[in-house]
Amino acid sequence: MNITYKGTAIGLSPDVYEPSEDSFLLAEAALSEIKNSETILEIGCGSGIIAAIINSNTKARVIGIDINPHAARCAKKNGVEVIRGDLLNCIKGKFDIILFNPPYLPTSEEEKNEGWINAALDGGHDGRRIIFRFLEQAGNNLSDNGLILMVVSSLTGIGVVKSKMESLGYYVEDKKQERFMFEQLKVIAAAKNDYPMNPRC
Amino acid sequence: MKRDLMEILCCPMCKGDLVLEVTEENEKEIVKGTLFCGKCNEYYPIDDGIPNMLPPELRE
Repeated sequence: MNITYKGTAIGLSPDVYEPSEDSFLLAEAALSEIKNSETILEIGCGSGIIAAIINSNTKARVIGIDINPHAARCAKKNGVEVIRGDLLNCIKGKFDIILFNPPYLPTSEEEKNEGWINAALDGGHDGRRIIFRFLEQAGNNLSDNGLILMVVSSLTGIGVVKSKMESLGYYVEDKKQERFMFEQLKVIAAAKNDYPMNPRC
Repeated sequence: MKRDLMEILCCPMCKGDLVLEVTEENEKEIVKGTLFCGKCNEYYPIDDGIPNMLPPELRE
């Protein structure tokens, strides 16, 4: 199966998260923030759709990470530089932009699915388990003027996620949002200082 | 993986530096090889150009 978005054709694969509204919203947010040849890390890149859109529309260098072996192979086939890994555990460098469309659905033990797709959806009982683990690591891999762009759903508690970012010392701003039948999706930006938020000031 | 990815990769367990051993490389990238952490005495495989940076118990 294939889909095309922003002039970028992407091959999909079973056992890999199928790009959805949240993927496209994060891709749009990333394209609005990329100015030139930034270095970008995308956590949980799945099929590689966002990284592939960045590759075909900008001069930035983007590297994807996914824990799912099928996703890593799918992203690679889509021309994305990819690493199989767990969040930022194997990363020591610093990046200008870190992208993350996290597993954010509140998921009880009974709701867990077998198979790799679960890793793309399951955010633990409150939807924030992976997000919080990511945020606690991310500062080490974000350059001083860098920006984290992350999708959050109203199902996950957008306010709680923003408070967590602020408690870790980040400046936080809403970038894009869209309302759907059952949820609101937002792309939130977090930065170590206010420069990326107001680059022309 | 491209060779310069070594600049951003570390051992997922101790965050230490890795030693690259290449078994197959083409004009674009390293296709097959290993990344070795001396501190943890652990190898991370590179297959089909993808480094697998998961600890052994999570690798499959």
